[in-house]
Amino acid sequence: MSAALRIENVSVSFGGVSALDEVSADFPQGKIIGIIGPNGAGKTTLLNVICQMSPPDKGEVFLGERRLTGMKPNQVAALGLRRTFQASQLFAGMTVLENMMTGLHLMSTTGLFGAVFRTRRMRDEEAEMRRRAMEALDYVGFAHFAHRPGNALSFGQQRIVEIARTLIYEPKVVLLDEPAVGLSVNRVAELDALLRRIRDERGVTLVMIEHVIRLVMEVSDHIVVLSSGRKIAEGDPSAVRNDPTVVEAYLGHQAHA
Amino acid sequence: MRALLGKKAFLVLLFGTLLLLPFGANKYYVFAANLVMLYIILALGLNLLIGFAGQLAFANAAMYGIGAYGTGLLMKHFALPYWLSAPAGVVIAMAAGTLLALPALRLSGIYLALTTLAFAQFTFWVMTHWTSVTFGAGGFVPPPIDFAPLPINQEQGIYYLSWVAALLLYIVAKNAMESPIGRAFVAIRDRDVAAQSLGVDLFRYKALAFAMSGFYAGVAGALYCGMLGFVGPESFDLLQMVMHKGAVVLGGMGSVLGAVIGGTLLTVILELVKEFKFSIEIAFGGLLMLFVLFQPTGLVVFVKRWLPGWEERLHHAEDDGAERAPVAADGESRPQTQAGD
Ligand SMILES: Nc1ncnc2c1ncn2[C@@H]1O[C@H](COP(=O)(O)OP(=O)(O)O)[C@@H](O)[C@H]1O
Ligand SMILES: [Mg+2]
Repeated sequence: MSAALRIENVSVSFGGVSALDEVSADFPQGKIIGIIGPNGAGKTTLLNVICQMSPPDKGEVFLGERRLTGMKPNQVAALGLRRTFQASQLFAGMTVLENMMTGLHLMSTTGLFGAVFRTRRMRDEEAEMRRRAMEALDYVGFAHFAHRPGNALSFGQQRIVEIARTLIYEPKVVLLDEPAVGLSVNRVAELDALLRRIRDERGVTLVMIEHVIRLVMEVSDHIVVLSSGRKIAEGDPSAVRNDPTVVEAYLGHQAHA
Repeated sequence: MRALLGKKAFLVLLFGTLLLLPFGANKYYVFAANLVMLYIILALGLNLLIGFAGQLAFANAAMYGIGAYGTGLLMKHFALPYWLSAPAGVVIAMAAGTLLALPALRLSGIYLALTTLAFAQFTFWVMTHWTSVTFGAGGFVPPPIDFAPLPINQEQGIYYLSWVAALLLYIVAKNAMESPIGRAFVAIRDRDVAAQSLGVDLFRYKALAFAMSGFYAGVAGALYCGMLGFVGPESFDLLQMVMHKGAVVLGGMGSVLGAVIGGTLLTVILELVKEFKFSIEIAFGGLLMLFVLFQPTGLVVFVKRWLPGWEERLHHAEDDGAERAPVAADGESRPQTQAGD
């Protein structure tokens, strides 16, 4: 089993405070990987380092054989690494369909000239993007929202559209930052089903930060546990659940809170 | 009936009137109509930058001035014909605009506003103080423009050039915004980090937005130089920048049609204010404040609400608040505006 994504000895500190300390991990192809850990453990920072939104002080990130470190986030996206964010990031000034089409931005090859003269190629590409965007909305059961403005949807609906938007350009790896936060119980179940479906039907590697432990334990094939910027455990859900270090990190954290 | 109220009909009526106006109207109205077309061009260009790409820049009047000065000075110092100096002036304005994309990559919001404002003030200072080249605060009169062998004088020639430019630049803006470029601009405006994560190259599209607005302002400047037959710094001061911004806000941020409406109305209002000898600063500042406070989405939103057929592809977020409630009725709260992660 080859690693879809690999991080090696990543360290990050903010003004002398260490957020990640020598973290290494392999993320196997076609699996759902859960990243858990108490608040402030460095989970979001790890995602930011992986997709090159914050530079590591030290360490490397590889997508397959490709070294990502030092690239721009849009270049990483072009290689097939996509992400969602902890706070909703739909484009409010666009319809849901246009949001999805923006996910296909890199499909476009015609530039300003093609746009201004509405060349045949430009119109064909635009029609193809529209078709694929509708198809992707249909896949998550949201086709009827296509022409609504992005900000007219509820939090949970926006989440689903965002996930669909990261998936539309057929990425190799998708990073999800707390996808279940603020969702109703029903929607968490929907999300759970969607994530499995994406893994099984599309073979995408999903790396998910999650606070809702039940969701992580249920859908993850593999779990990485962070605490105070260090990787303290790793393994399949049942192993991690019974790991005394993990239990202690969580209980210790709760005792402080 | 629908077709008569639609935006196509509005555009045909507007541009048709502008085309025929010189045959009936007196000199003053022709001048005012020419000004309308310049402000349409200026509002279109500025709207691409601030309304669509969301870059809070304050250098549009400066780029307008650079276009006018570039054109006029090349004619005056090097005796270049207008058909050479005008494109050169446009290219210089576009280059200056593109240069402003460099700070825009690192700065946003108020910091970008201040940096571009500093650039505008510097440009104004150069126009006023580099007397040996720019002729200083008094301005200068560029040589007359010859449209031979066409049987038209300078006034008519510039008028119809402005007409063609306004129409073409409207189409360019509309087509560009109804393409992946428009989506990239709006994505950067709404959520730049998410835009990047979908493969949008921030630098490339910010540079494009600045270059396009510089191009538009440059074209307007080159035409202004020919229209007025005089170029002086006071035409490109801060008040001028406020007018451009006013035209965009009046018509509607992030709406191509709004820029046409805003540019037209702004000129009409300005001329009326002059007619009644009212203070431009007070009339205009007041109007702008009212709009920013009470109708930040501009007049185009009213038009879209009341008339059929005015829909645009990339609509502004606040357009249809009335239709939202039923969508969100799944037991979850709608998120408040949130800062990025
Ligand atoms: N941009 C930043 N500047 C300063 N400190 C930061 C920044 N981002 C994160 N941190 C700090 O790094 C640590 C890890 O944060 P984060 O990765 O957001 O944790 P998690 O997502 O696991 O809750 C925290 O102590 C946080 O305060
Ligand atoms: Mg986090």
